[in-house]
Amino acid sequence: MPPRIFQAVREMLKGIDAAHREQAASLTEVECRELENIFALLVVGSFVGLPAPPSFLAVELLPYMDRELELLQCRARDSGDMLAELCGTLGID
Amino acid sequence: MKIFFFAGKGGVGKSTTAAAAARQLAQKARVLIVSLDPAHNLGDIFGVQATGGKDRLTDSLFLQEVDLHKLSREYLRKEITTLTSTYSYLKTLNLDSYFSTLKYSPGIEEYALLSSIAGTINNETSFDYIIFDTPPTGLTLRFLALPRISMTWIDRLIDIRRRILEKRYTIHRIKGPISSEETVLAYEEKDDDILRRLWTLKETYQDLDTRLRGNDCHVVVVFNPDMLSCRESERLIDGLEELGLPLRLLIDNKVRTEHIDQAQTVEAKMQARAPGVELRRIGLNPNLEDMGNKAGMDDLGERILPEDW
Repeated sequence: MPPRIFQAVREMLKGIDAAHREQAASLTEVECRELENIFALLVVGSFVGLPAPPSFLAVELLPYMDRELELLQCRARDSGDMLAELCGTLGID
Repeated sequence: MKIFFFAGKGGVGKSTTAAAAARQLAQKARVLIVSLDPAHNLGDIFGVQATGGKDRLTDSLFLQEVDLHKLSREYLRKEITTLTSTYSYLKTLNLDSYFSTLKYSPGIEEYALLSSIAGTINNETSFDYIIFDTPPTGLTLRFLALPRISMTWIDRLIDIRRRILEKRYTIHRIKGPISSEETVLAYEEKDDDILRRLWTLKETYQDLDTRLRGNDCHVVVVFNPDMLSCRESERLIDGLEELGLPLRLLIDNKVRTEHIDQAQTVEAKMQARAPGVELRRIGLNPNLEDMGNKAGMDDLGERILPEDW
């Protein structure tokens, strides 16, 4: 087999492998994001009226929570269209 | 090192009994007496002007009046500096100053109090006894409850954090090595800043909680022979029991001879609430109203503390 074809087949197989891996991980990724969202919500929940930990605990953790706060913000922004979010998660077009 | 907390309703004589106990113990050991009550009067009782630092009263007796407002301000200044440097981009929008609003958060005073106690216990190891004269019941119970409340929260947050890291690890295993442009999210416990901070906090509170519930910690409840003081002390005893803190001595203070019957009724109620805990009755001593009355204090000290303390 000429090297160019061999290379193309290899790239294609790599692509298929990556796609399968991506698909397999996607649900766990959603689960992980939601857990991070819950974590942020518990720490800074007093902003939205949830029972919160002692405020100094939130203050101690806040400097490390930029990613979680970003996620929390995304979830709040997307919460208006939960059906689209769910369809996206389950891969329904 | 032994740690004593003198607790009770405002005005029952906590500071006076704590001061007398400190003088008594200082005859045989090194003693530090710390006032946590925002309305300090230990300096007046000892007849000295407290500086806020550690004041030497005798070779073996030292006094410290904790300035709660100053402690709260220092704690907040430290945290606000950390937050401002973490979210430094806010400086470009002039939004960093809004963190100063944190000073209005509830619970800061209790936290400052607890930090002060933890700091004193950990740093003043050269003393054989540390005696804390506590603020009125409500605040005392709130700050004593903080280590346990915080640990409950920390445990739950650690649990969620671990699950997040497990998921991240699974994703990492499925997807394999990622391209150089993608951000690597920590998936091991040792690499996660939040989990590390939670572990450190848990360790700090666990240490403090162990010290407070241990054999070397003694809570002394002071009350007067009247129903108001009795009710509040009963609530205090219930609170201590709930928190697992060791109540070791009850002091019925300022008992007048003409009120012995009422004193007996109140004492019976207190002993029913705290069975097996030693109770001492102290008569009203008008000489103690004379500030700095050393003979009166020594006499009181001899009568309030059990010999084996």
